[in-house]
Amino acid sequence: MAPYDDWNRVDEDEEDELQDTAFFDAKKDVILFCIDCSPSMLVLRPDPEDETKTTSHLYAALNSAMNLQKRKVVTGPNDSFGILLFNTTRKLDTPRTQGSEIKKNMFLYQPIGPISAPTIQELIQLLNAAQEDSDEIQKQFPPCDSRVAMGDVFTSCNWVIRDGAPKTATKRVFLITDEDDPHPSSKQLKISAQTTLEDLAQAGVIVEPFFIQSEDRRFDVTKFYSSVLQTNAFADDVDSDPFILNQSISISRIEDLLSQMRFREVAKRALFNIPFALAKGLTIGVKGYGLVTEQKKGEYKYFVDLGDRLEAAMVKTGQLDEDRQVEVDKSNIVYGMAVVGAAPSNDDAEDDSMAATKVVRSGQRPFYTADEMRSFRTLGLEPGLKLLGFKPRDTIKFEDNVKHSLFLYPEENTYAGSKRTFSALLKSMIKKKVVGLARGVLRRNSTPTIYAVLPQEEDVDEMEPAGFHIIPLPFADDIRSAPIDEGYIASDDLKDKARAWINKMTIKSGYVPDSYPNPAPHKFATTALAFHYDQLEASAFREEFNPDAFEDLTEPNVDLIHAINGAQKAGKLLKEWKVVLANDHSATLVIPVTGSKRKPDDASNDGIDVAEIKTRIESGSLMKASPTLLSFYCLKVDQLKAFCRSQNLSTSGKKSDLIQRVQDWCNSH
Amino acid sequence: MVAERAGYTVTMFVVDISKSMGATRTVALPPGPNGEERLTEMTHLQYALQYVKFKIQDMIYGARKTDQCGVVIFGTEETDNQINAQHGGYENVTEYIPIGTPSAATLRELDELEPSEVFGDPVDAMIVAVEAQNKHLGKKKTWTRKVILVTDGEGPIELEDWEATANKLNELNIALTVVGVDFDDQEFDYVQRDKPDFKRVNEEFFRNQFCPKVNDSVIGNLDRVLEQISLPDVKTSRSTLMNNVLRIGDVDTRTEEAMEILVKTCKCTSINRPKAFKKFAIRPKTAQEEEAEQTMNADYGDENKVVTVTYAQLKARTEYYVHKSDGKEDEEEQVKIEEDGEPRTEDLEKVEKEELIRGFKYGTSYVPCPEGQFPKLPTKKGIDLTGFIPEKKFRREYAMGEVQYIWGNPDNPTAQCALSSVVQAMYEKGVLAVGRWVTGDGRDPKMGVMSPALFEKVHCLLWVPMPFADDVRRYTFPSLDELRNKKGEIVNEHAYLPTEKQLEAMDDFVDAMDLMQAGDKDEKGNRTEWLDIRDSYNPSFHRLKQAMFHCAVVSDLDTNPLPPPHPELLKYFNPPKKFVKKAQSTIDNCIKVFHIKHVPKVVKVARKDGHNHANDDDDEMLLLDRKPSTSKPSQSHSQAQISPKPAEDGSETEDDDEDEMLIDKAEPTRRPNPLPTPARSLNNDDDMDIDPQRDPDRVIGRTNPLADFRANLERGDIVTKVVEDMSAVIQELILAPFASRRSKEMIECLIELREVCLQEDEVYAWNSFLSSLRRICIDSSPGNKVFWSEVRNVGRALSLISDKEAEKNGGSSQFSEMQATEFLK
Repeated sequence: MAPYDDWNRVDEDEEDELQDTAFFDAKKDVILFCIDCSPSMLVLRPDPEDETKTTSHLYAALNSAMNLQKRKVVTGPNDSFGILLFNTTRKLDTPRTQGSEIKKNMFLYQPIGPISAPTIQELIQLLNAAQEDSDEIQKQFPPCDSRVAMGDVFTSCNWVIRDGAPKTATKRVFLITDEDDPHPSSKQLKISAQTTLEDLAQAGVIVEPFFIQSEDRRFDVTKFYSSVLQTNAFADDVDSDPFILNQSISISRIEDLLSQMRFREVAKRALFNIPFALAKGLTIGVKGYGLVTEQKKGEYKYFVDLGDRLEAAMVKTGQLDEDRQVEVDKSNIVYGMAVVGAAPSNDDAEDDSMAATKVVRSGQRPFYTADEMRSFRTLGLEPGLKLLGFKPRDTIKFEDNVKHSLFLYPEENTYAGSKRTFSALLKSMIKKKVVGLARGVLRRNSTPTIYAVLPQEEDVDEMEPAGFHIIPLPFADDIRSAPIDEGYIASDDLKDKARAWINKMTIKSGYVPDSYPNPAPHKFATTALAFHYDQLEASAFREEFNPDAFEDLTEPNVDLIHAINGAQKAGKLLKEWKVVLANDHSATLVIPVTGSKRKPDDASNDGIDVAEIKTRIESGSLMKASPTLLSFYCLKVDQLKAFCRSQNLSTSGKKSDLIQRVQDWCNSH
Repeated sequence: MVAERAGYTVTMFVVDISKSMGATRTVALPPGPNGEERLTEMTHLQYALQYVKFKIQDMIYGARKTDQCGVVIFGTEETDNQINAQHGGYENVTEYIPIGTPSAATLRELDELEPSEVFGDPVDAMIVAVEAQNKHLGKKKTWTRKVILVTDGEGPIELEDWEATANKLNELNIALTVVGVDFDDQEFDYVQRDKPDFKRVNEEFFRNQFCPKVNDSVIGNLDRVLEQISLPDVKTSRSTLMNNVLRIGDVDTRTEEAMEILVKTCKCTSINRPKAFKKFAIRPKTAQEEEAEQTMNADYGDENKVVTVTYAQLKARTEYYVHKSDGKEDEEEQVKIEEDGEPRTEDLEKVEKEELIRGFKYGTSYVPCPEGQFPKLPTKKGIDLTGFIPEKKFRREYAMGEVQYIWGNPDNPTAQCALSSVVQAMYEKGVLAVGRWVTGDGRDPKMGVMSPALFEKVHCLLWVPMPFADDVRRYTFPSLDELRNKKGEIVNEHAYLPTEKQLEAMDDFVDAMDLMQAGDKDEKGNRTEWLDIRDSYNPSFHRLKQAMFHCAVVSDLDTNPLPPPHPELLKYFNPPKKFVKKAQSTIDNCIKVFHIKHVPKVVKVARKDGHNHANDDDDEMLLLDRKPSTSKPSQSHSQAQISPKPAEDGSETEDDDEDEMLIDKAEPTRRPNPLPTPARSLNNDDDMDIDPQRDPDRVIGRTNPLADFRANLERGDIVTKVVEDMSAVIQELILAPFASRRSKEMIECLIELREVCLQEDEVYAWNSFLSSLRRICIDSSPGNKVFWSEVRNVGRALSLISDKEAEKNGGSSQFSEMQATEFLK
């Protein structure tokens, strides 16, 4: 019997078709929020969103933690969280029976564990209580008199993570504090913080700081943190700037905390690490990342109602020889063409209860092995990219697309010198405005594909990294021909009228984020996904879901389009365009035969029919009143059908159905 | 050629199974695993049937009900055809497979064909086939009729009323293909030697009389035809047009100022995936079957013994299990089970699918959801126009999927006109439209952008889906340009930063690799562009298809393996040779100035103790300390020295399957303190392996090069790299101050290095190294003449490797024994 972990695995030959998100699901993330509870964090300030209320940094931090957990249900349902508070005198109600004791004046509010509705709800209740009574948080977590040594904080983080985090997870500590100099006088404490942090790094834990500064109090990282954190916090930024902290890390507005966290909520993971051959003897190492991937709804799972609880059922899929009811081990499977069942006359082999078999002489092998199948798919190529050459940027057309792109960044460990070479190539390609073309097999079992290699210039302000986007290009097999080759072309006059309202509806910024720190590259949220998860959450919290409260941000803002100030808006111009369109000569013209097949004799009549029906409709106020609809009955079925076709209506059914349809159309237009 | 209507075809195969088809021929097979030539013997009939089966397999693959075929054979001992039944005559012709949609069974029936002992008349057989086809199709004029005759042309042909037959073919608009076994073929440059006279007559009849008389006919040699059909072909499929509506503004309440354009949409690109293979496995024989086979074979005697193997087609079965244990087991434990991957089968209980409830996982909690779906977002079918964006602001890398066409309804001139005006205006202004697409009421919306497309006679929009906020990940990457040292100062020279010289070399390389002139010459003699995706075959798709066809046609893949892929499939795997040759000088220059070195993977030493704790991940990192070296003659690292910050890469957040080599910036004296967990102490083991005097891209350090050398070879690292690094280290050490202290060690190193070079076919490496060593010692300043004299004292055993020595070890050398002896004198 196959081991459990094989159960949900897809067959090798289907592996290639898997969404890239599978890579992300495979690994678990562990985030430990480590939040400062010092008096300054508890100071009540006016709520920036609601002036009648007050809030504190600690409230905002906990609120962000809660929101991030809620979001993580969507992006990483297997991930674990914990919340550790420091500088508070709150103690555990009951001493922990297992695991390490943590240092004094620290409180493990939530031990590390998988996201669950009850823990989120507990946090929500606390936050709600704090909204009712702004002192609630202070009551819950009374601050202590002196600061806890940061070294103790890091050691505690280490213990908490060690107790609760799965071995293979990526482990991170989100450190939230507003104190830039916790130990102003003690050099000893600074060194102890450094060494304990190194221990954390040794344990594979990364500390991601979120430093809060306010208008009255700037956060100066040089006082303490820049020297302490440099071993760790910039793990992926070591080359850049360990001294002056990256801007994203100091937060001037506490409201930005959540969006900052969202930037970092998914640990950066490479999808592949492959050689990129620029030419023979000129190979560099690159890592690939998925920056754009469709986020899908989680699939439903099966559960068994055991009365007192629901238990998830494990799904086990095996390959079965039906006649014998024997499961076949994966390693013994061979691949080939379908054969038909025992009776050759029976065409419908699928329904045949007898399993199809093929009998050959002993020693003959009519089927392929899994290895052979893999070599057919990859054509024997090992994972890697091979540069074919360069072309001008504009040779890559809008329509040359079938899949999302991937991002390449150099990797120095397999090929020393990759970075400088990569960097030089990038600069040269940007300068010459060219794109590269490369042939690549990205993973062991994937199809060789031709990629457009699109250089991206580094933009520090927009946080755009330097690197290459690789865009999989379609093969000839994937390109469909245009089924329509003739149609009406609008006059220049009409075009100008269209241009007038297009001018009004142009978004200058394109898809670029409106302003930092919005983490979304544009304003659209996955509405259907959000809708799904809002319901899921409501259900998990046993709350009522209110569909009316759901805001669909992808719907166009019609108010912006339509007139508020008359002439200024697109609406009025749209109206003018429509008038010109209605008077356009095309409305009365005969439709040319395009693409789709039609009986030759009615083609010439079509245009007239449509015009005729239109006049009948226009004089139709009478008709709507008249129940007989005689004027429609005068029309032939072909004429009615032609009209339906032109209005995207169905042309099926009897004449009476067609008339009904045309009549309905008239009533709604 | 006008594209044929897919399907709606009846193809009649007329196959010769006469006596002469039983002659055997030698057929070349694809080369064996070691490139050896392989041949096999088969009858003409088997060879010819490969073609017929291939054609039929193509129909099966296409899976169109209206793509039908029938098989008529001639040269059969019996006679079984409708004309014979009604009118007599037409002997030795059999309607073997009635017209129908072919299946795998059709192929199996063809496999059963054996050459007969008699001859049949091909023209008779064609008449039978045409008659059967005509009867089957009746008045269906729109169907395509084809007849494919496969013969060796060695049987007698009744040459009387063939013209009537040809006329009949023309009358019914039948396309005829004659495929001849060993027919002469000028285009294919094939002439059969010692061709029997009557075959020549028959061939001439087909080529010069019969085929020319038939309006739509081709004749070809079987070998050529078999080669042709292995050429990949792209089936252009026309997409179905779907109804939709393009909405601008609020059409519900502000009708006057809003617009609905009736549109049709269809696919512009769509990934064409190969058909799935079926899974099979050998079915073990039951005792009964074993016995039955033995008794049967006992009757036949040893020589005719037939031992068979049965492959059964497999079906996927899904079963559901649940933990049997009562509610005591807490969640934490469950998580652990999943992680350990150690199944405890005894706790599981099978459950029927009917008992299961569908639901979603919300963290550790489960949310039942009986229909498997929450109510859907109430959406309205249509494409809502949100706005327009400047074309320049469109980020090509955001395009997420397959492209769609959006056309004005072809039956509605106003819609066409309206769309055309929008498309033209967009094109003129240089903008793309942003929209929200809903395929049907209640379907999930998608965001995307639309680009104007102006064809000669029609205007349309092209749609490509764009990411939602949730679909974009914004990872941070370190800057490539701005490197800072520990003090926060910007570093201008570093091993990661390209130099002016390197940038220039890359510019030349990029220019030289311009594909716009890399193609063949056109009629005017101008070079054309190379690589056109519109002319590119998906190699996997066609290779898998070829494999599927092949295994359907042959009975044993070991004796008749799949031929290599068609060269057409591989044409874009590498740039044209001539083109690369032209660019070679720039490539060589890049290789020289960029000086990229492959760093062999360091094999992790197995741990003795089992204390794998906290950080024992599969992405465990090997921490390498490195002290900036004091003397480094190697020019490639001089830049690195400027910044004390070492080569460091690979964020710890990443996890690859490979081990990461992390070069810690800490100095060795400042080893991180051990963690409070006992497991950390094992880090000391690593210290043994790490030489602080080892350059990051080398496998050999300067502290104990010989030990490193041996260890690396033992681990099976790439010999070339080990030899290269050893050579470099030796050269560095003999030039270092106080080198004389280590000269004895260096001689030992040289002796071992030479031995390895000799054994491992690195003769050239040794010889060139030794020459350069001599130059460095004697000619360069300060050099090390003393060391060279020590080398000379060792004598012949350290000299060049001669051709004689090399040959003994299976290598070669450009130096003679004499030269080798002379070298050290």
